[in-house]
Amino acid sequence: MNKVQHSTAIYWSAALAVAILAVLPWLSVPYLLVWIFLLAVYLTLAVSYDIVGGYMGYMNLGHSVFFGLGAYTTAILLNEGVHPVLAFGSGVVVAACFGALVSLPIFRLRGAYFSLATFGLISLMGILANNLRNLTGGSGGISTPPGDHGTAAYYLSVVTAIATVFISRQLARSKFGLALFSIREDEEAARAFGTPTTMYKCLALVVSSVPASLIGGIYVWNVTYISPPAVFGLEIALSPIVMAMLGGTGTIAGPVIGVFFLTLVQEFLWTKMPYLHLTMYGIIMVLVGLFMPGGLVRTRLFRAIRERLGIGEKAGYQRGN
Amino acid sequence: MPDDVIQLLVGGLLLGGIYGLAAFGLSISFGVLNVLNLAHGEFLMLGSLAAYCAFVGLGVNPFLGAVLIIPVFVLIGMGFYHVLLRPISDKPPHQLPVASILVTLGASLAIEDLTAFFWERPITGIAYSLPPLNIGGVVVSSLRLLILLFICALAVVLQIYLKKTFTGKAIRAITQCRDGAKVVGVPIASVSAITFGLAAALAACAGVFYVTLFTVTPVIGIPLTVKYLCVVVLGGMGSLVGSVVGGLILGLAEAMTAYYLGADWSPCAAFILLISILIIRPSGLFGSNG
Repeated sequence: MNKVQHSTAIYWSAALAVAILAVLPWLSVPYLLVWIFLLAVYLTLAVSYDIVGGYMGYMNLGHSVFFGLGAYTTAILLNEGVHPVLAFGSGVVVAACFGALVSLPIFRLRGAYFSLATFGLISLMGILANNLRNLTGGSGGISTPPGDHGTAAYYLSVVTAIATVFISRQLARSKFGLALFSIREDEEAARAFGTPTTMYKCLALVVSSVPASLIGGIYVWNVTYISPPAVFGLEIALSPIVMAMLGGTGTIAGPVIGVFFLTLVQEFLWTKMPYLHLTMYGIIMVLVGLFMPGGLVRTRLFRAIRERLGIGEKAGYQRGN
Repeated sequence: MPDDVIQLLVGGLLLGGIYGLAAFGLSISFGVLNVLNLAHGEFLMLGSLAAYCAFVGLGVNPFLGAVLIIPVFVLIGMGFYHVLLRPISDKPPHQLPVASILVTLGASLAIEDLTAFFWERPITGIAYSLPPLNIGGVVVSSLRLLILLFICALAVVLQIYLKKTFTGKAIRAITQCRDGAKVVGVPIASVSAITFGLAAALAACAGVFYVTLFTVTPVIGIPLTVKYLCVVVLGGMGSLVGSVVGGLILGLAEAMTAYYLGADWSPCAAFILLISILIIRPSGLFGSNG
């Protein structure tokens, strides 16, 4: 009974949050809009990373490749005069095809090898973006036709972020999600029990590429300029992953909490300090790795809060700490 | 034209020797610690910086520098192990990969960014040269040949160390069977520390040669770690011969790519090699199992 009340309260507060997000553009708070836009971008990336990185246990450090591919495809097509919706769609298709293609060799690696190879994929993409000057504009970057679509991009990004969280939640409760968890726990056993692991791994990578590439397209549509370091750089590659891990991978609440926490920290702390952001990321990563590899949601404090709210992890699905 | 090809071969072999040296460090530290050290390339970068400072500030010859730098980086590597890796080594097996990636990649980023903060301009290499050598009408830089010889000598010393000394045998024992080694009384923690120190020293030593040939910037660490991964995957785990041959293949491939397609494309060579080796032979050229 108590639990039911709690979850009703959660639904009401979620509805309230959506209502506030919906009316914000009319309240003339441009700075807040930009901030929420970036928050939505990071949230989408972190939650979609978690499908492969958290649910399936393959740390895909090259997740931002999909973001960059979506952004570049959209930018190139927008410059050709293609309708934005079609351009976003093409970005998603390109990234998904790339994900399917690359999954074949790259999933032969495990653990840290897999992570390092996917990390190398980012620099490969960066080199391609730098060298294919006719297509991508080289190191000078690429600009898209300007226009006043800040509000539209805001709505799109928020809807994408919410949809990604929803999809991730549904995925965790589906048979597909169960297959991913079983791959994480013991791939050989999963295969022995008849789970088509190769297909599921490929599918998971493709599914996680869709929100990332879509948000990449929306990003470039809004900011109208990207360059190789902006989309294939270290900061965009690592921020969402660090956020997901800080919050706790393999859960729905984890990446969301991590994104809010780290974005707030950036907002209040890092804007005062123009240098050494990567050092900060590095130190946060080391500390999380040393002291709480399960993330914030698996620490004692958060566990207590979660139990009060009744939104605990699905016991059978998630790995305990 | 044959002159070009020979220059290309010497350049590729040299680069390959440097890669092989550092990649072997990565390979043994993975074999013993079961942790892939993503900060390995940073040791090469720091070694290059140290050699550069020693050369410019004190006029230390790079070859002397390469010998001197080994004990220093053995200590640094052991410190790194005790502070960052030892605490996570007793984590349960499902948390170990995540924890190790977080810790080593985080350390790598912090080292890189801090170095870049204090060292803004790229280092344009050490201006150290020896008179060129003329062998049968082909002019070869004698500095490059000497470095190649030095690397070969180091590989031989290393091989003897691994085969003959107690610590070397312990390192190989842990790589082959961790539990078995523990049972017969090999002190895992101290051998791990020594291995890690050795790995760091090999990378730093390779870094000294790297800076005599190429431009060094603080951000070369992570791309280099990716190349070492490629070399280790090429050559198979834990084999010195495999690492050296893998390094030579990568070095030659990069030199060829740079010559025929342009220097912009040479960083792609490592990755294309990695992908093709994974498709054709996932266990590596010399490895028996993945």
